[in-house]
Amino acid sequence: MSTGTERPGANLSRRTVVKAGAAAAVAAPALAACGPSAGGAGGGKTLIRFLYATGDATWNEVVAAVTEAFNAQSDNVVVEPEPLPAGTDYATALKTVDATGNWPALVDMRDTVTYMEAGKIAPIPESVTALLSDEVYAPSEDGSVYIVPSTALNGEIGFNIVYDKDYFEANGLAVPTTYAEFIALLDAIKANGDVPLAMAAAEIWPSDQIWKPLAAPTFAEYSEGGGFWNAVEAGEATIADLREPMERLKTNTDDYALDGWQSTQDAQTSTLLVNGQAVMATSSAGLGRLNDIAKVDPDYNAGLFVIPADDGTINVLKNSVNGDTASGIAISKQAEEDGAQYDAAVEFLEYYFSVEACNLMEATGVVSPNIKQGAEVKRNDSIPGAADYFGLLENPKLVWYENAPTNPNHSTFQTFFRQSRIEMMDDQITIDELIEKSQGEFEKNMAEG
Amino acid sequence: MTDQQVLVKALPAEPPPIARPAAGRRPRFDRQRIAMLLFIAPAALLYALMMIVPSLQSIQLSLTNWDGISPTFQYVGLRNYEDILTADRFWNAVKNTLILGLGSALIVNVIALAVAMMLDKLHHAQGFFRTIVYLPALVSGFIAATIWKYVLNYNFGAVNSTLKSLGLDAQTRDWLGDHDIVIGVLLFIICFTLGGNTTLIYLANLQSVPQELVEAARIDGASRAQVFRYVTWPMLAGAVTVNMTLMMIAGWTIFDQIMVLTLGGPGFVSETMAFFIYKVGFGEYRAGYGSAAAVVLFVVVMATTVIANRYMRSREIQA
Repeated sequence: MSTGTERPGANLSRRTVVKAGAAAAVAAPALAACGPSAGGAGGGKTLIRFLYATGDATWNEVVAAVTEAFNAQSDNVVVEPEPLPAGTDYATALKTVDATGNWPALVDMRDTVTYMEAGKIAPIPESVTALLSDEVYAPSEDGSVYIVPSTALNGEIGFNIVYDKDYFEANGLAVPTTYAEFIALLDAIKANGDVPLAMAAAEIWPSDQIWKPLAAPTFAEYSEGGGFWNAVEAGEATIADLREPMERLKTNTDDYALDGWQSTQDAQTSTLLVNGQAVMATSSAGLGRLNDIAKVDPDYNAGLFVIPADDGTINVLKNSVNGDTASGIAISKQAEEDGAQYDAAVEFLEYYFSVEACNLMEATGVVSPNIKQGAEVKRNDSIPGAADYFGLLENPKLVWYENAPTNPNHSTFQTFFRQSRIEMMDDQITIDELIEKSQGEFEKNMAEG
Repeated sequence: MTDQQVLVKALPAEPPPIARPAAGRRPRFDRQRIAMLLFIAPAALLYALMMIVPSLQSIQLSLTNWDGISPTFQYVGLRNYEDILTADRFWNAVKNTLILGLGSALIVNVIALAVAMMLDKLHHAQGFFRTIVYLPALVSGFIAATIWKYVLNYNFGAVNSTLKSLGLDAQTRDWLGDHDIVIGVLLFIICFTLGGNTTLIYLANLQSVPQELVEAARIDGASRAQVFRYVTWPMLAGAVTVNMTLMMIAGWTIFDQIMVLTLGGPGFVSETMAFFIYKVGFGEYRAGYGSAAAVVLFVVVMATTVIANRYMRSREIQA
């Protein structure tokens, strides 16, 4: 008889308890497998994720605008942008995503060959590549295309110096046409009592923004043979050949850079510029950086230029459309295995390379990918400084060079080299030590590749 | 009959020892135990699959050149271990781990004990001050580090801005970018975040020190310092063991603060062993090498924890 004060379940038999325990044991793994599915359907539509690197605010807005517009017009697919915060370099973050085994359907790809050889990305169909200009994609050795560009393939022309045009005008300064003029410009700004250059190295990768233009003349010498790094691997060059750009990097850092560059993040350089804490800043976002600055301060009169070589040549790395350094959008192998996700990813890419989507990108502040119908795309030249960017592409001194390492372990080395350069810039090691340790690491990495 | 004989007679004879009947012995796997095992089985299974098996697998991977992505790899023997043990970068990470691990363990324990003793003496608003002391521990290491990152920012941070507004421009530093001080700054931040739990453990132990012992010592003429040295401190031996062990383990595996605040930089200068493993394993496509470093870290953690624990346990026995 129940007294009404018994503990609930107190009269359960042991058999019942054992059964309940067994049921729980069986159910737990099944329950653990429940939860939101990346490839699940939302309202009868296929939901896919688009993983991309958050860097500048402009790129975030472009991805948001394009996915939103696509979702509004698609009857079958919902694309969910998945920004990957650049807490560290994107390649490291991407590897972490791979380790989870939960790939999104669409990926803003880096280290392409590494992931292609590992079977993590799927071929992109002709229905997508047919929309693109022929020179911006290429099949790999197996005949399939694995990566398509996310923006215009203007090489590394985005690696440039953004500057305060009003300051230049007020002080009678001009954009340098040779490296000597660049140093004279830095000296002139310093002589005015101002800080010439804001740089960033907190996330490690922005340290490339000053290094690559300085090393470009040396890299360009090896362009015809496939690039500097391939020459080093073949024994035709050594890292000691980079001594001069290393010395220039050291001089630029020690004599002209705003203090605190070691812990300054990439996005902060825009603020430093707008606040007048530096007259110029390094950048790798090209038009995107100009757009960011315009948003922070619409009255800021920004311009940009690329650090020229001694002879005035503007050496710019051209995009690799098929090597490990190629970057762009890829479709994951997991999506291909799913089938529906692959079809959804293809539908999105077909929209991404439409005139409508490209116009949206341009309006948001990014130079859209090179599509066959490019003539119909309305270019955005309203961003302050945009004329400088487009002017660079027409500059007669512009020389495109190639530097596409073929060894799959090159990414491993570059991560090490970047940090080692920061050690040198920060006076922790000498240039000789940098050369020695980088050469040793390069040889070890390439031998394992 | 003597009194003693009377007392002996009055006491009942000691009953013979009762042999426990074999039939009454509890079987090894009765229904209740089976039920208990079934209840813990899902968690145990998941733990084994998620923790034990991968840990053992990392020993296997440490002998390979796996890049962490490719489906295949080759065995390279002990080459990864040779590379690690001859790499300056690894030893720098070991040094940082020791500084941050042992340093934070010592500093936090000393400060936490002092704070706990002050809290113990408080007669008013003890709850309020206890909450204040514990508050930093409620914030995740990642969030706390992010806040510190803004506070210590060279160009916009509160610390440098305050120094400048006080006319102390010369005292401003790149707190997270100056390779001479960055480890010290990290040590400070880690200590600040981890002190709450340690303080509460000490406070709980202080409040359980028998007051009769303290009073007896005072009656015998012991000074305050002597009471602490000969009564309170020995009674806290167990808490010291627990706190030091927890802090050392937390110190050996410091990762999130490094990840948020410095990314191991500038250069490699502030890498810890845990961050080094992450960086080479995930950022440099050297999962085999990273696994070897993880095995070394495991050995270091086990060895130091066991040695330190043994020492502290021996102290507890003496106490």
